[in-house]
Amino acid sequence: MKSSIDWQIAMLTAVKPETPWVKSFTFSLPDWYRHKAGQHYDVRLTAEDGYQAQRSYSIASEPEREGEIDLTVERIKDGEVSTYFHDVLEPGDKVELRGPIGGYFVWEVGLLPEPLLLIAGGSGVVPLMAMLRHKAASHSKNPTHLLYSSRTFEDVIYFQELEKLNANGSGLKVFHTLTRGHPQGWKGFTRRLDAAMVQEVISPLGSGVQAFLCGPTRMVESAANALVELGLPAMQVRTERFGPSGPG
Amino acid sequence: MEEVALDLNHELMLDANAVAGTLFDIFGVEMTASPTECAHCGNEDDMGTLLAFTQGPGIVLRCSACGQVILRIVKTSDSVLLDARGAVYLRIMNPKPQPEGIPGENDSLGG
Amino acid sequence: MAEQFVSRGFVGKRRQGDQSKRLPPGQYLTDDFPVLSAGPTPRIALDKWVFTVDGLLKKKVEWTWQDFLKLPMQSFLVDISCVTKWTHLDMRWEGVSLDTLMEYIELDPKAMYVTASGHGGYTTNLPLTDIINAQAFIALKYDGRDLSPDHGGPARMVVPHLYFWKSAKWIRGLTFMEEDKRGFWESAGYHNHGDPWQEERYSSW
Repeated sequence: MKSSIDWQIAMLTAVKPETPWVKSFTFSLPDWYRHKAGQHYDVRLTAEDGYQAQRSYSIASEPEREGEIDLTVERIKDGEVSTYFHDVLEPGDKVELRGPIGGYFVWEVGLLPEPLLLIAGGSGVVPLMAMLRHKAASHSKNPTHLLYSSRTFEDVIYFQELEKLNANGSGLKVFHTLTRGHPQGWKGFTRRLDAAMVQEVISPLGSGVQAFLCGPTRMVESAANALVELGLPAMQVRTERFGPSGPG
Repeated sequence: MEEVALDLNHELMLDANAVAGTLFDIFGVEMTASPTECAHCGNEDDMGTLLAFTQGPGIVLRCSACGQVILRIVKTSDSVLLDARGAVYLRIMNPKPQPEGIPGENDSLGG
Repeated sequence: MAEQFVSRGFVGKRRQGDQSKRLPPGQYLTDDFPVLSAGPTPRIALDKWVFTVDGLLKKKVEWTWQDFLKLPMQSFLVDISCVTKWTHLDMRWEGVSLDTLMEYIELDPKAMYVTASGHGGYTTNLPLTDIINAQAFIALKYDGRDLSPDHGGPARMVVPHLYFWKSAKWIRGLTFMEEDKRGFWESAGYHNHGDPWQEERYSSW
């Protein structure tokens, strides 16, 4: 009897560029299991001589999309696996993966319309995007604020889609901050995430907020500290540290 | 505000959900939403909150409250060694009964 | 049993080159210096740094940072092999040879083993015979620069002829003992000795 955690060979069916360094890869899975937003898949690459490299990538797509998943991967210079994804993989190729994995950093639309605070740094937005896509697919209207930190406007992943979700009356509001330069006419924040920014974004949500933070370790810790200082109980803050800049 | 020099070792520190797959390999079920108690300071929390050091000869999971080692996992060529002295207990949920081989309809492991 | 699936076009970061004679079995070459750790980087103020040698000695000996800097420093060009399979050739270090430190201590004849301790609780054990006769040093610089905290700075031990987990980062002392006592990784499944040329990676049961 198969377990959803066994390795399986998935087929790449589509590649979509998101930013100059980020692409989304759609995989069709022979054994697709309905995941929860926030979970990830482990990917394993094997060379002819048996050498293996393994990484975890958060699922970007919503559980409502059956039979396939999207993994959004940032190309890390010198990254062993991410460069393979970006430079070698083509639709029709097969990749070994297993999942969905994770029981802690997950969110499902529930009976209660709890307010959600999502804080993302760089490619940390990926699991949070799965949550937003799941929210949209379930037509949930719970108040949700996304605070998303990127280097420049070019680096913002899913910008158009976030604008659409922002506007569609689902209770989502997106706050962007650009830390290394912004275009003329930019209306968002223009500095590194700090306590004042976090407070501005969380205050309108009131109490009972559930927070999910994902991104580079340092950013996640600074945001988590800010939330705890603002009085959010530690139990309501869940973090996924991505390492220095994504899984590589 | 002074910029602290990037401490790569600190940046490489992850949450235990990064090793959720490894924990599943050992225990046969999803562990990151299960609680554990630190033998050093008594802090009790879900395993997903443990700090994971994965860049080394083995995986080290540390208590997020006091920093002491809770679990050490070493994968050898033919086995996995688990040192759980740092945990007062680990809670391994019973695997959910799965209907026979109908992919796509089984519960995911999220629990 | 099903054959392992092979990923089309995947090679990975390693290279073999013509250095293969210097490569221990099962290792691959790298030019990187990966940061490896079992715990967070300890922050040690230099004015509080002390290196202590104790245990089966006539008398405990301590050096402050200032004292340590007065010791004769040497350059070391060595190959380093980590049990995680990377080998980096010709790594340049500067520091104090353990033979220099041994001149300042009087060993009890029963002392056969040493435990190296690092800040943050890390320990590793070695036979005395593996740290004398130009086989080990305390490194203060790597590649011409002060050793960064990520890599064990301000000072770490380096024992190039054994797997790199025997080179304790953030070193704070050596304890000489009559009996061998397994350290952090040795008590978690790794080999007690750790010779890369014999591929002594794991404990054998």
